[in-house]
Amino acid sequence: MRRLALLILVSCMTATTAAPAVSPPAPAAAAAAVAVPPLAFRERTLANGLRVVSVQDHSSPTVSVQVWYDVGGKDDPVGRSGFAHLFEHLMFKSTKHLANEQFDRLTEDVGGTNNASTREDVTNYFAVVPSNHLERLLWAEAERMSNLDVNDANFQSERAVVQEEYRQHVLADPYGRFFESLAPRSYTTHPYRHGVIGNIAQLDAASLADVRAFHATYYRPDNALVIVAGDFDQAELDRWVDRSFGAIARPAAPIPRVDVREPARTRDATYRETGPNVPLPAVALTWLGPPARSADAAALHVAATLLASGDSSRLYRSLVYRQEIAQHVGFSIDPTTDAGLIVAYAIGANGATPATLAAALDAEIVKLATRPIPAAELAKVKLQLVTQALEERETPIGKGMAIGEAVVYHGDPAFANRDLDELQAVSPADVQSALRRYVIDAKRVTVEYTQEKKRRAAPRPTREETATPRPAARAAPGPTRGKP
Amino acid sequence: MTVLPAMPIAQPLDALPPPGAPRPFVTPVPHVETLDNGLRVVVASRRTLPLVTIQLLVRSGAETDPPALAGLADMTAGLLTMGTTTRSATQIADAAEALGGELGSGAGWDRSQVSLTVTRPYAAAALALVADVVLHPRFAPRELARARRQAQDHLAVTLGDPGSLARLAVDRAAFGTSAFGHPAGGTPGSLARMTRRDVVAQHQTWYRPDNATLILTGDLDAAGARALAVAAFGAWVRPAAPLPAARTDDTRQVAPASVVIALPDAGQAGIALAAPAIARDATDFYPGVIANAILGGGYSSRLNQELRIRRGLTYGVGSSLDARRGGGVWRIAAQTKNASAAEFVQVTLDEVARMSTSAPSAAELDARKLAVIGAVSRRYETTASLAGVIAGFEATGIAPAEMTRTIAALEAVTADDVLAFARTHWDPAALAIVVAGDAAVADPLRERHPGLRVIAAGDLDLDRADLTRVRPAARPSSR
Repeated sequence: MRRLALLILVSCMTATTAAPAVSPPAPAAAAAAVAVPPLAFRERTLANGLRVVSVQDHSSPTVSVQVWYDVGGKDDPVGRSGFAHLFEHLMFKSTKHLANEQFDRLTEDVGGTNNASTREDVTNYFAVVPSNHLERLLWAEAERMSNLDVNDANFQSERAVVQEEYRQHVLADPYGRFFESLAPRSYTTHPYRHGVIGNIAQLDAASLADVRAFHATYYRPDNALVIVAGDFDQAELDRWVDRSFGAIARPAAPIPRVDVREPARTRDATYRETGPNVPLPAVALTWLGPPARSADAAALHVAATLLASGDSSRLYRSLVYRQEIAQHVGFSIDPTTDAGLIVAYAIGANGATPATLAAALDAEIVKLATRPIPAAELAKVKLQLVTQALEERETPIGKGMAIGEAVVYHGDPAFANRDLDELQAVSPADVQSALRRYVIDAKRVTVEYTQEKKRRAAPRPTREETATPRPAARAAPGPTRGKP
Repeated sequence: MTVLPAMPIAQPLDALPPPGAPRPFVTPVPHVETLDNGLRVVVASRRTLPLVTIQLLVRSGAETDPPALAGLADMTAGLLTMGTTTRSATQIADAAEALGGELGSGAGWDRSQVSLTVTRPYAAAALALVADVVLHPRFAPRELARARRQAQDHLAVTLGDPGSLARLAVDRAAFGTSAFGHPAGGTPGSLARMTRRDVVAQHQTWYRPDNATLILTGDLDAAGARALAVAAFGAWVRPAAPLPAARTDDTRQVAPASVVIALPDAGQAGIALAAPAIARDATDFYPGVIANAILGGGYSSRLNQELRIRRGLTYGVGSSLDARRGGGVWRIAAQTKNASAAEFVQVTLDEVARMSTSAPSAAELDARKLAVIGAVSRRYETTASLAGVIAGFEATGIAPAEMTRTIAALEAVTADDVLAFARTHWDPAALAIVVAGDAAVADPLRERHPGLRVIAAGDLDLDRADLTRVRPAARPSSR
């Protein structure tokens, strides 16, 4: 049962389709029956290296302006885990010509909204405004790209906010420590192992000098992508972009890039993590996946949808519904530019142990990889993916996000229009060979998570500052600037 | 006319360009009609993409929960999708997902609902499925047992998270055992007490065409929608007996309580404050919406300015005005480190008090009004959120035509209206306060709140007005 009121980590599904009372087009014909209109984007690159992609949509008088910087949690300076995300918050502070939080004056105060998020590979700033405010917002984005001017008071107060974000998502949430432990337990070498949100101690170690250096190093036109989606006139937009961004200099220094490669795993491993106030045990199984632009990514995406999208998905049906050993299940492959992480997880129910949950997850994955996949089930997930894509693209912000992810993870905005075709072309054999290669035949890390033993004998030190500050964070879209 | 060259200007601009001429939003106009059996059908077209959202709304929800059965409306709605007289739970999930959508059901205040978004070719089949689960649920005992256990597990997780815990408990602290005091999702005790007979009675009493609205939004027109509605719901029979009167229980609060729920090893303090609020049909509803936006709506509200931006005490704080039929609930919620909890509560109460003494400046008022108007307008951009807007009107007994008036009504709110609203409705002393966190948060709070009670998390009883479990009396020692 899916309750509307619950915001769920995930979940879901299987086949044997019951005939609906009115018969729709057969799901196999679904993809063909429902056309997803392509995003008619326009792309250009300014002389200073700034890439600009725009897509018009006049269905409402709003426009989304997004700036995606090619820098993320993996680029945190050594000893400064969480820095890229902290920096993202500081981009809303003063610049040469803008006061603190003036971005909110330019967006929220005129009927728009803004936010930002930091992921392992990328930091994106995204706003939507009434379309008559487009030129102002472009100007302001150019201003903070070139003239950020954070002072110490701003830095201190915003760092405290980020530390509260860490406490809220990692320390207060009963499963925060569990999800935060997956990256450090899964990677041995790649900076992805430090996560994104960081920890209290390393955030405390950051300085204003770090902020200035980070801005100079990464926030430059040849490391940025500007996306404009919605209600605008192309000629006007081009003119405004040139005026706002054209004069920003491209620094001579090269942009540092992470060139560390995560080595293949040589063995399976199991780790035991604990936390306070954990009513139900949990387990996660992780494998190293391919980068997002791998030819196998589409097959793995379809596999994840078969396993965990909806109440008819295989993991939900088996662990949550039939066996009743899990409260939640998930199977995710978040896109990354380097080796990604494939994660299967379950939060238990009815006294199931992590070992029981792990065995049940494994059994369903093996079954998918080795037994015939019914055609109707594959058709079902393909129609789910089409429907989800259409829902994402109803808004200017969603259209812009589709473009941004295509550029960041595939190097090409046109991928936003190829993505669904590639998913529709995935065959059962593709699903099974990808699962065999990356999961069945690969080394697995198991993370078991349970309630910590009570240690009442000696008084504990203040918990939040000392609780094993674990390099952190993989939240679905990454930590955001956060709105109440 | 001069064509500007597409080349960089030598100097960066040093001043913001002015905005262009406004391009107003066009609010969709909902089409409303009533079928012969009393079912209201509300349609709003949005034909930009081939998507249709279907929402069947029963205009009764958690307010109908019997006092000992908190969560009955939500359990009943949740079980609709878990089996009908002709389909099992798994067949229903298979059918919905074969249409590309995800069937959801649940209940909140004033509403119980089933919803599904699909692509246009599957709209008729999706509607038939929604009708089947609403009209012919089986309520199998096995499914009730499963759903009960799942809800209990969900509650167990909620009780371990200080933020969720404070929000869950604060309505009891504000309303005691009166109508708005209970958690809409149920309590450990009420879930254990719920029987199939209760669920069947809930369905029989409230799920009837003259107490329901079918909402259809997206890629269809009124005529097409009507044909779909008649095909799916035309045979739904209106009972001869009149609809029971909506609950008119006293929704006043008891004396607002100040409570600390001591949660060992809480990684943060969860803070929630609540008090009674206006009903949706109050004449000062729109001033209330703007007043709430100034106090705690959005990023730039007074609370977030002071507590997050200026003091760095939280990742975000917000207030909400939940205006229902017959009354409402006003809430403020946030999380902060344990050591900051007392400061957080005091600054919050000070900001509430300031709403009655400090009228918004013209700039503050205009900004917050535009923020609200923008947020309202963006809800018309997707078929699912558009259906949600309509559901909000239908559930609270407001004609959906109000949609076309909303923006003008918000624009008309003045600074005096806001001040009057705060002075009439917002007394800091009326706020119940719940802080869930480390036991040490109690001492600094007690300085300003001498009546503060501390309840160990293990002794929490969400069914009782005082939130405290009654321990069995100590057994007299026998010899």
